[in-house]
Amino acid sequence: MHYKWKTGMWAFVMHRVTGLALTVYLIMHINVVSSLHDPGSFNKTMAFLGQPLFRVLELGLLAAVIYHGLNGVRVFLIDFCNRTKNHAAIFWILAATGSVIFIVGAYPLLHHAGIF
Amino acid sequence: MNTVFKIYRFDPESGRNPRYQYFEIDVTKGQTVLDALIEIKAHKDGSLVFRRSCRSGICGSCAMQINGLNKLACETQVEDLKSKTVTIDPLPGFKPIKDLAVDMEPFYDKLRAVLPYLINPDSPPTDKERIQSPEEFKMIELATSCILCGGCTSSCPSFWADKAYLGPAALVKAYRYVFDTRDRGYSDRSGVVNNKHGLWRCHTIMNCNDACPKHIFPTEGISLLKRKVVEEKY
Repeated sequence: MHYKWKTGMWAFVMHRVTGLALTVYLIMHINVVSSLHDPGSFNKTMAFLGQPLFRVLELGLLAAVIYHGLNGVRVFLIDFCNRTKNHAAIFWILAATGSVIFIVGAYPLLHHAGIF
Repeated sequence: MNTVFKIYRFDPESGRNPRYQYFEIDVTKGQTVLDALIEIKAHKDGSLVFRRSCRSGICGSCAMQINGLNKLACETQVEDLKSKTVTIDPLPGFKPIKDLAVDMEPFYDKLRAVLPYLINPDSPPTDKERIQSPEEFKMIELATSCILCGGCTSSCPSFWADKAYLGPAALVKAYRYVFDTRDRGYSDRSGVVNNKHGLWRCHTIMNCNDACPKHIFPTEGISLLKRKVVEEKY
């Protein structure tokens, strides 16, 4: 099965992928947080999560949350506000909005990590 | 302008796997993909199988996948594709019967399931037709122009994944009658459309809107039906 991918298809697939990624993250997050019972294990875990790899993953998490949330708004506009005909324009407007939110959100993350 | 047509060939009786066959023809201005297929069948390979009837975008027989998108071959001019190689496949999601002809029977079954006719137990007036205002008709006007080509349903990834899914064409037909002010069949149709193989399988992927040769925007009708179902329930 092959079909030319257009905006709606990309939006749908990325929504599914970020949804799955956020579910996996939430399970891991709850698991880690629930294991922090004393200052020793807390400091150890925080030191482990302070590695550069997790900083990059945090940026990915931020991007996934922003995309999933904003595309949710797009789906709402399509289904509840009859915006089917404008779905591609809405996608690109929200993509621009999401990019700004990402930059604003990424700066303190990187600043905290000492990169900026 | 010389154009290569890369055409899906499949003959179940031959026992061979599907393959692409290439034909090169000199395309003239205004020539449609259907014209090209007819020329190939007449002069290059008479065994090529495809459906066509009206050649003017009314019958919906010649829906096929052209350069990766579902279109009517008769409404697609080769020049507009701006492509030196035109790839033609049968409608995806349906079982190929031979070359570009697919089995449309499951598509028609879905259509029958939504009761595609006026349901109104009240007898019509004897002196005039059932009255509908132009504003009321406007609500369903686009949906009434569906030619049942199958392009929308075949373009839908939800349909590829769930062959029991009604698909955009059947749901648009349901919309057309549910929102017809003369119809009283909502209770008969709601059970068909309000289930996991109905409305809720639409994930607003939007391929159907681009595929529709009549610019019906099936997703809009499906969204309005979703709201209607929720409003009726709560």
